[in-house]
Amino acid sequence: MRRPPIGTSRWPLIGLLLGSLLTLLTGCGEPAPPPAEGFAGLGSEAEGFVAAAPGTPLRFPEDHGPHPDYRLEWWYLTANLEDANGEALGVQWTLFRQAQQPRGQRQESPGPWAAEQLWMAHMAVSRGEVHRVAERFARGNSREASPEQDQAGVTARPFRAWLDDWTMESRVEDPRQDALERLRVSAHAGAGDDAFGYRLRLAARGPLVRHGEAGFSQKSADGQGSIYLSQPFFEVAGEVTLAGETRAVSGRAWLDREWSSQLLGPDQTGWDWFSLHLADGHKLMAFRLRGGGEAGGDYLSGTWITPAGEATPLEGDALRLTPLERRPVAGREMPIRWRLELPRRGLDLIVAAPHAERWMATAVSYWEGEVRVTDHDDGTPLGEGYLEMTGY
Amino acid sequence: MRLMLVALATLLGHYRRHPGQLAMLLLGLWVAGALWSGVQAINASAKESYARAEALFTSGLDRLERRDGEALSRGDFVALRRAGVDVSPLLEGEAVSVTDERLTVIGIDPLTLPGDSAFATAGSGGELTAFFTPPWQTRLAPATTERLGLEASTASGATPTLGDGQTLPPLVLAPSLPPGTLVMDIAAAARLLGSGEILSRLMAEAGALDAAPAGYRLVRAETLANPGELTASFHLNLTAMALLALIVGLFIVQAALGLALEQRLGLLRTLRALGVPGRTLVGVLALELVLLGLIGALAGIASGVWLAHALLPDVAATLQGLYGAAVGTRLQLPWHYWLGGLGVTLGGLAVAGSATLWRAARLGVLELGQAQAWRAGFQRQLRREAVAGGLAALLALATGAWLATQPPGEGLVAGFVMIAALMLACALWLSPLLAAGLAGLGRLARHRPLTQWALADLQLQLPRLSLAMMALVIALSANLGVGSMVGGFRLTFLDWLDQRLAADLYLRPPAERFDEVQAWLERRDAVAELLPTAEADATLLQITADSDPPRPLRLPVTLFGITPGERLTPSWPLLETLAGRDAAWAALAKGEAFINEQLALGQGLAPGDRLVLQAPGGRGREEVIVAAIYPDYGNPRGEVLLTAARLRERFDAPPGSIGIVLAEGHIADPLARALTARFDLDDQAVLDQRRIKALSTEIFERTFAITRALNALTLAVAALALLASLLAQARERRRRLAPLWALGVPRRELVGLQLAQLGGAALVTGLLSVPLGIAITACLVAVINVAAFGWRLPLHVFPGEIALTLATALVVALLAAGLPSLTLWRTPPRALLAEEETT
Repeated sequence: MRRPPIGTSRWPLIGLLLGSLLTLLTGCGEPAPPPAEGFAGLGSEAEGFVAAAPGTPLRFPEDHGPHPDYRLEWWYLTANLEDANGEALGVQWTLFRQAQQPRGQRQESPGPWAAEQLWMAHMAVSRGEVHRVAERFARGNSREASPEQDQAGVTARPFRAWLDDWTMESRVEDPRQDALERLRVSAHAGAGDDAFGYRLRLAARGPLVRHGEAGFSQKSADGQGSIYLSQPFFEVAGEVTLAGETRAVSGRAWLDREWSSQLLGPDQTGWDWFSLHLADGHKLMAFRLRGGGEAGGDYLSGTWITPAGEATPLEGDALRLTPLERRPVAGREMPIRWRLELPRRGLDLIVAAPHAERWMATAVSYWEGEVRVTDHDDGTPLGEGYLEMTGY
Repeated sequence: MRLMLVALATLLGHYRRHPGQLAMLLLGLWVAGALWSGVQAINASAKESYARAEALFTSGLDRLERRDGEALSRGDFVALRRAGVDVSPLLEGEAVSVTDERLTVIGIDPLTLPGDSAFATAGSGGELTAFFTPPWQTRLAPATTERLGLEASTASGATPTLGDGQTLPPLVLAPSLPPGTLVMDIAAAARLLGSGEILSRLMAEAGALDAAPAGYRLVRAETLANPGELTASFHLNLTAMALLALIVGLFIVQAALGLALEQRLGLLRTLRALGVPGRTLVGVLALELVLLGLIGALAGIASGVWLAHALLPDVAATLQGLYGAAVGTRLQLPWHYWLGGLGVTLGGLAVAGSATLWRAARLGVLELGQAQAWRAGFQRQLRREAVAGGLAALLALATGAWLATQPPGEGLVAGFVMIAALMLACALWLSPLLAAGLAGLGRLARHRPLTQWALADLQLQLPRLSLAMMALVIALSANLGVGSMVGGFRLTFLDWLDQRLAADLYLRPPAERFDEVQAWLERRDAVAELLPTAEADATLLQITADSDPPRPLRLPVTLFGITPGERLTPSWPLLETLAGRDAAWAALAKGEAFINEQLALGQGLAPGDRLVLQAPGGRGREEVIVAAIYPDYGNPRGEVLLTAARLRERFDAPPGSIGIVLAEGHIADPLARALTARFDLDDQAVLDQRRIKALSTEIFERTFAITRALNALTLAVAALALLASLLAQARERRRRLAPLWALGVPRRELVGLQLAQLGGAALVTGLLSVPLGIAITACLVAVINVAAFGWRLPLHVFPGEIALTLATALVVALLAAGLPSLTLWRTPPRALLAEEETT
């Protein structure tokens, strides 16, 4: 699962752009809108949109492209990298899509500037205490006549996702291969000494993974959910620029694809989400949705992925997540050290962020950063990955 | 406390017996407050409009333009964004309301608008999603709703229909927006304007781009004009006029206060004798002053707002015409405006009243018995006035001398100081001059007792008259000075307009069709000569005068390209050249430049100096030699003139307009119609010379409409002041005539005496204000205009204006003398004597 967020019609995104969230909520003598439901409004009703449901057939490469009749969608990449000296770096590249109206309410001839789809891109580069973040926005319509002429969009054939000059595109030329097997990802922001960004080549060393029930990933006890796929097996090579200096890097990356129309239940306030590359070649996805579980508790779910790409859902008491330590970050108390237990597999892990300052101070803000995995009992290093925490 | 109240009531009782004095006092306060606060209201309102416009999208953002002159489109925007160039689109157009009001429509893309620019002021609040999704929103200032025929209070959410039948997206009030502007999402604006994929502008955060992307031209925000700076001198001029009105008003106040106090000396004596302490008496007088001041100031501010409301459309038209700055025609007054207005009026009152209080406080109890005590001190006062006038004249001289050492174009404030000092000197010298004159005449008229009496009597009245006369001399001379300046400017301007508008028809084709239109025109028989122009914004980077080292600077200037041909060169006015007119034109043709007077004065440039210029799309730095300086009235910016061909080639300037000189025997209309039809131009694209002249003249007239209005108001106030102060003393004067009448002087002669007394005094005042007025005109055209606008004008003197000035003074005086004379005529002699007895 994942990810933030483009909210609903009440989301705060441009409130920040506008300079004042306060006036946004009280503005101009209009009645203040009710508080957004769930994190960034992701839990609000999605009438008129197609709902994600179990048994939805998936076809590729079409499903690598956008699904404009679902309200929300994202292409989300995180990478744990290191430079030639072994210094660790983290990289994020994300494109979010949010439909502004369901198909039935769209205009007959929307015009070239129509904002039927709102696109939002986030990128981040981190190393040590440094964490640089940038975001971009764009409008688009839902027609697929000539998406290449838009400021932002995704095409399935050839696979290409972009907003401005931030791009993720397939390097696969053989039509029999999956388009996501090999990717080129690039984004840059800032200028001069302040420049940061990356240019990466990705090659998958395993298959595409479907989470949950053949790709339908349930998000609350009452059946809410999304279509959720991952490509967790990327090997990465390329270069990263930070503080105006460019270094060659290599490492691992994890791509998430997810679409839905109502991601959260109305009572869910946010989530804590883990994507882990374990040292023995296994991959582990786990999340905790706060609220929305049985009897008002949290809703936990995950996927255990073998090195060959076989996925096993983790349900019920197969997964336990316990925050161990909180740190003040951006005015919030963020749990940056966790205990993650898979009792049936005899795994008892500590997942901790070596650097707490990974707040994404974007219009929709959240915590996203690298984590190290160690054994709970003897501290043996067992892997690395990314942690995302929203709704704090 | 009770004592004070009683004393206050007693003192105020005086005004019940002399309501004329109360009226005069309040009139002075009211007028001073009204003119001052009216002008300040206009200034505050205009400044607020500029601030809103500046905070919007017009300034602070760099712009990109296509090099090939084609209109920008969505394709440019997407291509640039996808190449990593951070630009945001803006669509600008016009909507016409059902009531035929023209409003500016601005379409923006809030998703790409540079972060901390403008959209915050475009109206934060409300929901952003609602802004960019159907049915969208129209954001507008509350005042703008009136132009759509709606009340601001009920306009929110309305979807007014426009003149062309389209409806606006629901209205959302955003007080921070500039007047007459509708801001909406670009999708809504494109639909409203039917512009499809066409864009008006691509904007980037100032300084974010190092260089223009290939195929584009980068126009830096700093080269774009800023209305606040351009209009500063205009507002300073308005403020000076208001200050003048304030001073005239305060003169009236002081005259009224002096009179009221003098006539209450007896009353004060009685109060002191009854045991009221002197300090209490002064306190009560101060309290009275504050009470009257509050009433007058509040009335003044209220009228000032009304006055501003009446004048604002003219001012707005002026600022729009002269500087292209949009100013709302509805007043926007910050809270400090109200306090400021009150403060200035009360402060002025305190200054005007302090002398009265001071004298009242220093008056000994014993002296109270002598009503003539103050008058005895009049000689001393005259000496003091003469000395003070001398000091003011010295100040004026010193300022003038200092100004003479300054480069032209400097010393706007010093110029005003000099004018103020001159006026003050004349006003202060007026009474001693009159007194000396009367004394001299008195000696001459030794054998004509009645004349001698009249002169002596006038001398006696002088202390009371002098303040009103001082106000009159100031108002008359200011009126004459400003009137002559405006009149002279008008003559010069019209003359210059004739010289500049050499072609018969002017055409502004769309940039991308310029060459096509020009080629078509060249084939017409009716066309004798084409005068194409070009225009670009540039930065003046360096100035090299003769022997001095090069001076670097960064000054935004306009580059203007003309086509020097047979028709243009003989008439184009030049002020200074390097080696004569012909040589100058030859140099221009070779690629050198002319500069306008504004630039020459502002930067101290002379023919022969070298300039380094850089245009955004040009080939880099270009050096030109200044071959001549030309007058350029009405242009607030510095301008460098080159040939159009040169400008397009070296500075990559887009084409501007084409002037068409018709061949002998051809008329403009058929060609204009053929042009419009052939190229599908709108009817504003082709203008004939007459129409341009009419438009320019109209702008000029409106520019000075406000100056004239304020000027006339000031004069009217001064005339009223004189009238009021004369009428207030009428009763007393009539009383002094009674013994003369009793001695057998016929009433006809008595009336003639009165008219001669006051008419003579007024004539002297008027005569004094003539040279003063001319001096003020000289200062205005030589210092103030140069500093404020950047152009020097020849000094024109208008005998008609002078005659009018004198006549005004005379008419007021005669009216003031005549009205009481009528009463005198009808009063039975017994009653006159009775009045004398009751004194």
